[in-house]
Formats: sequence, structure tokens, C-alpha cells
Amino acid sequence: MLTRVVLPLLITIFLAGCSGENWRTTDISTIMPPLDFKLVNEDGRTVTEEDYEKDGKATLLFFGYTHCPDVCPTTLARLAKVTNALDKDLRDKLQVLFVSVDPARDTPEAMATYTSAFGPEFIGMTGDKAELDEITNRYRIAYSYDEPDKDGNYTVTHSSAVLAFDSQGKPAFMVLQSDPDVALKGDLTRLIEKGQG
Amino acid sequence: MRNLVSSVVMGLSAFVLSAGLAFAEGKVDVSDARLRLLPGDVPAAGYFRLHNGTDEAIKLIGAHTGAYRKVMMHLSMEKDGMAEMHAVPEVDIAPGEDFEFAPSGYHLMFMKRSALLQYGDKVTVILKFADRKDVPVNFKVVSPAAM
Repeated sequence: MLTRVVLPLLITIFLAGCSGENWRTTDISTIMPPLDFKLVNEDGRTVTEEDYEKDGKATLLFFGYTHCPDVCPTTLARLAKVTNALDKDLRDKLQVLFVSVDPARDTPEAMATYTSAFGPEFIGMTGDKAELDEITNRYRIAYSYDEPDKDGNYTVTHSSAVLAFDSQGKPAFMVLQSDPDVALKGDLTRLIEKGQG
Repeated sequence: MRNLVSSVVMGLSAFVLSAGLAFAEGKVDVSDARLRLLPGDVPAAGYFRLHNGTDEAIKLIGAHTGAYRKVMMHLSMEKDGMAEMHAVPEVDIAPGEDFEFAPSGYHLMFMKRSALLQYGDKVTVILKFADRKDVPVNFKVVSPAAM
């Protein structure tokens, strides 16, 4: 399953290596579709990518769940740290969409409470199974639920990559846990500056 | 008199010897212990550095605290771009070794909070070991932004 998803991805990345922007993280400009979704935001409103493109902001897209104790908050805190290190005028042109793949527990209210810990640019979203399947298939994001324990708690295994899109929703780069902060900061700065043209 | 002197000397040597043994036995040191609290009713993570200053291998088998109803030891792993997490029943730490519970790796998962916590609070967490006594540790409650 993993090989099926990741191997073609890596091969495509390798083939696409000479084109595009020379991001310090991984270029996805030719292998990922543009920003495109229909989900429910933290206000409980159904929204699409158009609602988040009209302000001319670059977008980071990350999938996870709020009951994730370690990797999700670590990733979001890292994004917060790096974006806080940007100049304010750049930071104002960036949004982080955190999509929960655990809608059974992550209501819009729960998402709003959760994202408030990271900063105003963090926006929580989720959807029903059909909506989540559509966006996760589009970006080749895999997720699965473990068996609940006797208290009904369960963990969710999910893709840990962060996808970056420019202000028009075009795919740009992908950030892995192993990418250093300085590479992420450099690529984010370029992505946002490019959008301001 | 000679007997007295010799028994004092004997007693003193016994004392020095036992003090020496106690020192050689060393202890288990925990530093940089923090509990990363998130808003809402979601689990928190605990991180710390443990130094095994004893001359034998020790085995961490779990933890508990009055502030949460359930604490589990977990390991996060990133494999082929997937983040996954599983429970760890025990962790072996060799003599003299440092072992770190750190983001994206080993962590304590605190579930079902039973006390109101704020950033800056101290939470006592009891670390449990096989074949040796519990080690109480004060964890500082921190925000995700502080890490």
C-alpha cells in the first residue's frame, strides 16, 4: 500500500527534478493538482478553495486529527515557529489549513479550540467521509483508524507531509518532517513573495 | 580502649563503605520534563530526558499522575511519509545512558484530564520502573508554541 503510493511519487519527483523552482524542500508543482476542496470550516460553514484564494494568500495544507498527541501538534508548532519568524507582511499572506481526517471526534467547535493554540493563520477543517475521501485521494494522502481500546480511544495513522500552494492555488512544494526549518522558511518566503509579484 | 578505637574505626569504615556503595549505586535523573497541553479535551504529550546514573540496566514500565486518568508510553514513527504511533510496554535504559522522550519519537500520552491545568503549572508524574522504586517527577505545563 505504502510502496504503491510513495514509490511512483518518488519516481515522479525524480523525473520532475530538473523543472520548476528548485525548492529546497520537495517540488510538487508537476505532480499534484491545484488547491481544490469542499469541506466544513471551524465555523461549521461549507467552504471551497475559492473562499481561501480570494485574499491572495499562500496555503499550507496538512492532514491530521486533534487527538494526535505528538506528531500533529509538533508539526503545527513547527509551522507556527517558522511562520512567526517571517516578516509580518509575509506572515499576513499565509494560511495553514489543518484538515482533520477524524470527523467523528473533530467537530468544527473542537477544531476552532484546537487551532487557536497555534495562531490566527491556522484554520481547522473537516468533512464527511465522501468529502474527505475526495481531498485525500486528490493529494494521495492515506489515513486509517486503529481499533478503539476499551474506552473508545483510537489512533489515526496519516500522511505527515505538508503541502504548499501559491496564492492562486497552484501546487508548489511538499515539506517532510526531515526537512530543516531553514529550508522551509526559505521556500515559504519565496512562495509568498512570488504571490505578491 | 583499644577495643573501643578499633570498633570506632570498624564502624567508620563500615559507614564509608556503605556511603561508597550508595554513591556507586547512583540514581535515576530526569530533566527537562514538560507536559505539552493543548486546548480542549484532547490528549497531551509528556517529554523528558532520563539519565540512568546507576550501574545496572533499568526498565521504565509506565507512568501515572493525578492530573490525568490514563498515561501511556508511545512511540511515533514516520515511515514512507506516514505518521504512525504505537504503544510501548517498556523501555530499557543501559547503565550510564541518556534516554530522551522527545517530539516525533517516544512520548507519554496523557489522556482524560481530571484537573484544570494552565501553562506554567507543575504536574507530578510518577515514573514506574521494574524492580526499583518509583521516581516522582515534576512536569512543567507548556504550550505547543513554547516547544
